[in-house]
Amino acid sequence: MTTLSLTINGQKHGPVDVRDDLSMNDFLREMLGMTGTKFGCGAAQCLSCAIIVDAPDGTSTTSPTCVAPAVNFNGKSIRTVEGHARDGELSTLQKAFIAHFAFQCGYCTAGFLNEGQVLLERLSRTPVAREALEQTITDALDGHLCRCTGYIKYHEAVRDVILADSSRYLMATK
Amino acid sequence: MGPSRREFVKWLSAGGISVSLSHLASAAGVPFAAHETLPGRGKFNPAAKGAGRVDGVAKVTGAKLYASDFRANDLPGWPQATSHAILVRANDATHVYTGLDLARLGGALKPSVVVTAADLDRIGTQVPDFYAGDLFCPIGTTPLYLGQPIALLIFEKFDAFDQARLALRDGTFIQFGEETGPVVVPDYGAFRFTRVAGPSPDKPDVYSPLQAGWVSPKKVQSAALPVWSPLAKDMPADYAKAAKYGEQIRAELAADDASMLVLDREFETQSVDPMFLEPECGLAWYDGKGGNLELLLGVQSPYEAAESIAHLLGKARAPYKPAHINAQFAHVGGGFGGRDHTPFILYVALAAVCFPGKPVRLAHDRYQQFQAGIKRHAIKMRSRIGIDRATGKIKAFAADHVLDGGGLAHFSASVAVVAATGAIGIYDIPKVDVRTVAVHSRGVSAGSMRGYGILQAMTALEVLIDEAATELKHDPIDFRRRNALPQNGRTMTGNPYIVSVRTPEILDKLEKHPIWQQRAQFKQASSDRLVGTGVACVTKDYGSGADGSLGRVELGPDGKIVIYCDHVEMGNGIGTALANRVAGHLGAIADEVSVARVDSYDVLGLVTSGDSSTIDQKTQDAAEKNPRWVPAISSPTSSSIGAHVGTHSAAEAARVIFRFGLWPAALELWRIAKTDPRAGQWASASWQDGQLTMPGLEPLALSVLAATAHARGFVTGAVAHSFSRWAWSRARFPLSGEQYRAEIDALAIRKGSGKFERINRTSVKFPPTDNNRIGTAYTSMCGTVVRVEIERATGALRIAKAYSVFECGTALVPEVVMGQAQGGFAMGVGYALLETLPPFEGGPGNGEWNLGRYLVARGSDLPLRDLEIEMLKPLVPDEAPKGMAEVVMIPIVPALINAIHDATGHRFRALPVTASLLKGVLA
Repeated sequence: MTTLSLTINGQKHGPVDVRDDLSMNDFLREMLGMTGTKFGCGAAQCLSCAIIVDAPDGTSTTSPTCVAPAVNFNGKSIRTVEGHARDGELSTLQKAFIAHFAFQCGYCTAGFLNEGQVLLERLSRTPVAREALEQTITDALDGHLCRCTGYIKYHEAVRDVILADSSRYLMATK
Repeated sequence: MGPSRREFVKWLSAGGISVSLSHLASAAGVPFAAHETLPGRGKFNPAAKGAGRVDGVAKVTGAKLYASDFRANDLPGWPQATSHAILVRANDATHVYTGLDLARLGGALKPSVVVTAADLDRIGTQVPDFYAGDLFCPIGTTPLYLGQPIALLIFEKFDAFDQARLALRDGTFIQFGEETGPVVVPDYGAFRFTRVAGPSPDKPDVYSPLQAGWVSPKKVQSAALPVWSPLAKDMPADYAKAAKYGEQIRAELAADDASMLVLDREFETQSVDPMFLEPECGLAWYDGKGGNLELLLGVQSPYEAAESIAHLLGKARAPYKPAHINAQFAHVGGGFGGRDHTPFILYVALAAVCFPGKPVRLAHDRYQQFQAGIKRHAIKMRSRIGIDRATGKIKAFAADHVLDGGGLAHFSASVAVVAATGAIGIYDIPKVDVRTVAVHSRGVSAGSMRGYGILQAMTALEVLIDEAATELKHDPIDFRRRNALPQNGRTMTGNPYIVSVRTPEILDKLEKHPIWQQRAQFKQASSDRLVGTGVACVTKDYGSGADGSLGRVELGPDGKIVIYCDHVEMGNGIGTALANRVAGHLGAIADEVSVARVDSYDVLGLVTSGDSSTIDQKTQDAAEKNPRWVPAISSPTSSSIGAHVGTHSAAEAARVIFRFGLWPAALELWRIAKTDPRAGQWASASWQDGQLTMPGLEPLALSVLAATAHARGFVTGAVAHSFSRWAWSRARFPLSGEQYRAEIDALAIRKGSGKFERINRTSVKFPPTDNNRIGTAYTSMCGTVVRVEIERATGALRIAKAYSVFECGTALVPEVVMGQAQGGFAMGVGYALLETLPPFEGGPGNGEWNLGRYLVARGSDLPLRDLEIEMLKPLVPDEAPKGMAEVVMIPIVPALINAIHDATGHRFRALPVTASLLKGVLA
């Protein structure tokens, strides 16, 4: 057993004793009841279980939770799909997903939302050229599986958020 | 008479168990958005202004929606703790099963309960006919199929369960002895569909299934391909008659006739998994005292699930037999047919009754889902086609299909029938003979999956058509146009379609598209890659030929609209489609849409009997005298019926509210007397921005109309049932002094704020039972043209550009329809190029398959920015919606194979065409 403390969506959790082999996915879903993070394959292949991990330097990455032990997140700060909206106001990307009819069954949505959000934050720090944008989105989202949509509307939603605030996410054109 | 296309659900209680079904509204009191009623009154509704789905907010905020999201402490009245079960399955089906070695589960890991075949007699279970076969493989016998359940292990605590599942991962604790080879089981069904057209299109057919009924040889020889003995003495007379015509057709194709081009080709398709992202899951709690069995499930067929569980426990012994079953249904995380009639739910119920007093959760992980989830049929097809060289017209077609049904019958016979009756696709062929058989194997069970046999048959056909056009030196699109079935032409069962047939328009679009026009220009091969262009055009039925639909609409005095529907939201946007279709009658998007809702129609008092697919006319005529009788009450959410059937009853209920609630309210507000001719001109009224308008009259807001309707006691709510057997039932109801006629067969209304009351129909016309001889009368068309680039060195294929065009009548939610078309394209690409499951020992039944090994299309496999999809506008403004969710995944598959041939000169005759296979032919 290991004592686990972490921050989830800005709230501190723990200290709580967890088994060393308890997955982060089960910690969220079974221990905390936070089932917005899904379980898809248990092999880090579909990424419907992906969450955001915020590093102390202000950068963020996504991480699968199905194969990662919960104890790996000790002391870390993470964000899940439940934490994107603030005071009942949906995030820009959440609104874009809705407006684009980006999802169908919705089971993969949390993973795409987290990945898309990390991409937006990365681009706000390190913008890319407009001509590199489409490939940048494809590369960012490509690990995520969706069986319903064919991915196009997810990509369009992310792209349109970026283009709507291009000075923030894209390099200035010369 | 043909076989049942779907297992039709009769609303009954089995063995004295009462059954109720509800949705998750009971969870509304918990502090998260557990509403299956979405978006909920007063909550932001993206659909209200066409800017999203009714379930949009719930899905982007991680609300608990799916069966896998719920635990016991989420559900009011349930105990707080959740126990967990593991369903152990056989990973060998050629040796005798000798038992489990659970020694590795010592101490705290020891399961609280182990349920095996030996316990079933003690419990007194009975297996529903649809799932015939042992629920658990008994010790001392060879498993019927790979993945057959062996035992349920139930753990009271999560930690024990979690560690046990890891300890059991390798499967070596399941012990086997003597080798026996696979268990031999009779075939699931064999049929023959033969048609010989008359001398001209306006003359009756010489022979057709519509005239003579569907025929079966009753028995088939076991062989790699079935060997029918069409004229043998022991064949039924009706079969012998069909066989006589069929063998004549085959003899003509075999004749040495220089005027005909005859191609005789085989094509083989593979087994694949629906790969919906949410593995199957269920939660159940039995009080253990002969009382309630509570269930929370996620399926496409809620009525069937409840009935099957009632049957399972209908003759159970005390204390295992519940007095009452209450099943609740959640959204599903993808379905694609794989959750329609799933045996999984039986084990959820068993787990609960074997661990009384404790809520038990049974959830597949992905390995288990691959090991046990319903698969698409692998089909071996041999097709012969005869074409008159002079005219380029197809004269005859004969085919033999063998479907690997795997371990349980499931829908195998039905899939075989659909594949066979759809085997000539978009074409007009005067002589057709198709024999089909669905066989048992030790593989994982195959059953319903998006495409339902047509995907496989269309792929073989469109590849064959492409080859025929090449042989005849005809343009592939012109060859298709020349042979396309016209609007009133007869399908191979002898009936015409009763919906639009827009093949010529689709072929024209494909022909004019730049991808096709520029195919020669792009074919210029470079040293490192080959380029090819392919085309295909297909048709796919929608509806099962016996579809029931329930709908309930309520209009509040403030104009707020609530809709209830029995169909399930599996991503298909049924909730939003309902809202849009009802808005067409009531002028506003609903505030609440409740799907998978099966508890809201009791006022209709519906009863049913018999099997709507096999019932005879005399029996139907007698039964319909009971004004509460209908041929089928509810249908699974399958067969692309969401738009066409799923929304029909709610739309008709809304029509009643308008006609007998809002319209009389409007007349009062406009001060138009009943004797005024304008009083009968409701069809001239229209909704604009939430206001009812009539030329020359003041627009009226819905809220004002609703308040008036409530105040005056006009109709403010309606519950309707409808049934379709390739045509809707029609009935008359006494309403407001007139005989109201509509395409429904049961109706209840609410006046003002009163209670709902049933209105007995005064007459009814159900579709004739002879319609059961029709293969399909509802169909949609889709065509695709695609350009591929193939690297010579690696065989890596890139889809450079693609264009799909399809028709679907009126699209209720165009954005959802386009999304489904894009998703269908992606699933088709995966089927053509990536996905495959070996059938037996090395396949998913061994419990070792997961994503990574099983490849599905990712974004980088698809032409995300080079895929153009066109949805044809409806032929007329009020054209009924047509099912499209399946047809859109089909033509890309043969179009890709044809494009690969164009690029490489090699015609593949099996799927998938992987990069390594391509590399092989390029070497």
